[in-house]
Amino acid sequence: MTPSVSGRPARADHPAVPTGVPRVGEGSGAPEGESPGAVVGQDRAVPPTTSPHSAAGTAARLRALLVAARPGWRGRALYALASVPLGVLFLALYLGLIGSVVALVYGVGVLLILLVLAVTRGLAGMERRLARRLLGVDIPEAERVRDQRGVVRKLRRLVLAPDTWRALGWLGARLLFGVATSAALLFGAALFVTLGWDVEWNPLNALPLLALMVADVVLTLAVVDLLVRLSASVAPRLLGTAPEQRIAVLQQRTRRLADRNKLARDLHDTIGHALTASLLQATAARRTLTPAGDRPLQPDFARQALGHIETNTRAALAELDRVLTVLRAEDGGRDPVPFAAPSLDDLEDLLAGLRDGGLPVALVVDGDVDDVPAELQELAYRVVQEGTTNVLRHAGTPLTVAQVVRSEGALAVRVCNEGVTQLDGRPGPGGGRGLAGLRERAVAAGGTLSAEHTPSGGFDLCVTLPLSGAA
Amino acid sequence: MSAVRLLLVDDDVLVRSGLRVILESEPDMTVVGDAGTGREALTVAADTDPDVVLMDVRMPDMDGIAATAELVARDAQRPRVLVLTTFEDDDYLFRSLQAGASGFALKRSDPEELVDAIRVVARGTSLVLPDLTRRLIASHAPSRARGPAALPELTGREADVLRLVAGGLSNAEIATELFLSRETVKTHVSSVLLKLRARDRTQAVIAAYESGFMTG
Repeated sequence: MTPSVSGRPARADHPAVPTGVPRVGEGSGAPEGESPGAVVGQDRAVPPTTSPHSAAGTAARLRALLVAARPGWRGRALYALASVPLGVLFLALYLGLIGSVVALVYGVGVLLILLVLAVTRGLAGMERRLARRLLGVDIPEAERVRDQRGVVRKLRRLVLAPDTWRALGWLGARLLFGVATSAALLFGAALFVTLGWDVEWNPLNALPLLALMVADVVLTLAVVDLLVRLSASVAPRLLGTAPEQRIAVLQQRTRRLADRNKLARDLHDTIGHALTASLLQATAARRTLTPAGDRPLQPDFARQALGHIETNTRAALAELDRVLTVLRAEDGGRDPVPFAAPSLDDLEDLLAGLRDGGLPVALVVDGDVDDVPAELQELAYRVVQEGTTNVLRHAGTPLTVAQVVRSEGALAVRVCNEGVTQLDGRPGPGGGRGLAGLRERAVAAGGTLSAEHTPSGGFDLCVTLPLSGAA
Repeated sequence: MSAVRLLLVDDDVLVRSGLRVILESEPDMTVVGDAGTGREALTVAADTDPDVVLMDVRMPDMDGIAATAELVARDAQRPRVLVLTTFEDDDYLFRSLQAGASGFALKRSDPEELVDAIRVVARGTSLVLPDLTRRLIASHAPSRARGPAALPELTGREADVLRLVAGGLSNAEIATELFLSRETVKTHVSSVLLKLRARDRTQAVIAAYESGFMTG
């Protein structure tokens, strides 16, 4: 059980949970992350007008009652008592639904039905909390319709989500339980009264009469308790998540995990790599500037190393910026947005960062690239990213052109640069691991990658990707 | 003692040039060559006959794991391979140890640590990063759990020595632990390696875990 809002230690005020009474369902699992004080207040989906107790004092007392309640006999008693007025409320809801179906004929029914469904979902949320708090039944939170983006989506979810209709079913079941509870209580009370008042009490019949009255009370309570337990066993089935929703959630989680892994791989390949190279260059540079024994100082090496560190760090920061943007977008949205893979639209930003780093680079885009599939756009972005970063890494800051050409059925991406501007620009053999990775991805997409030195001493990276399905 | 001959293998020219300067500044080390791919490493190794190869894992045109396996297949004794890694990616590291690398070091480690690791690999008298290595092997090696009887060809003393080797102890430490002379320990270690057909201590530890010797 979560600690209450007043900060009382959990359970300290409630040593009397009857241990002999088994809890129904998975009762031992207390709900998490929800402060009991918020039980009523959080349930914003319930229009305040549906609550018969509008007086603040009554609400506060009710809240206090709920806060104090724990799964156990007291919780079950409260639940049983609540089922009578709630039954009336749900009956009204059903009548409203029927009324709005009738009103369909007059054209205004649609709005009414939607309103009733929204109220149903809200009430189901309240019911979930009641069942959790009073019965200790573990029921997962339902998806929130209002978290969906856009009115149309909200309405679609509201009407089409299976849990809306199951919630309606649950309210019906609760209505029946409420009727049954009322009936049991009324009958028990009537019998009690009959036994007590209509009979002449004398020493002979007093004992059996008392015994009968006790039996009546016990039996009535047992029936009510049975009804509550029945509710507790049905609740998870109707108020819980539907299997198809669970699968959807699972799929979404898997997708997010894959995105995270991809992000991690990107970080590894770009930032990890750049930082490692910078670290080793810095370490080496310090050594070349530290006099030791007969070792000559090498200021030239140190100067070059500093240049490498500068460009590497800049490229790493640009990538960090991109990754952070993705993560922020993920955290900011209530709906987890899918991993925002970079697209061709992001190229200008990428190159702007490189220009700040001193690389004179131009971007040429030919043809309409808007309808290029997202995966290919990302791959094309990566080609430009890897190509330009390699220029910085291996050739310094020569004139560089990044070109994206969309032709009939193919997308060509090219990065080429003029001769090396740095004296030590000893090109890495066969390109970096980034190129190897790019080649793999290009081939997987049915394309080709070529990377070669140009006669003028520059480098030319060209990736061609087929646009299948494109006219 | 003559200088340790090193071959640097990494696809990033900046990593290589940095390492070269760092390692060349050590009096007991000399860099005899470098290579940017696994395949190139094989050629350069054949030409330069290094004592220790500093091997990157992920490279284009034959990665460090395949290159290590190939080097080991050529000659079981020389050169020894020290894997250099950016991140502690367990899986890659274990696979490179399995392929025959003698140990691994992080590229971000202090130059002193890196130089120590190279010396340890060159001497072969203890494990590199003993705790990390042992944990890595223990968690990855598929143990068939047959207990101490798994390696029956070992004498009792040799079994003791192997257990301590797997615990990451150096020859000197084992000598203290078992009240033996260093020379005796050395002899025992050699005969354990011979019996397990292991090229070095790392491989012996892998064999000990994989045979179930350590779990028994």
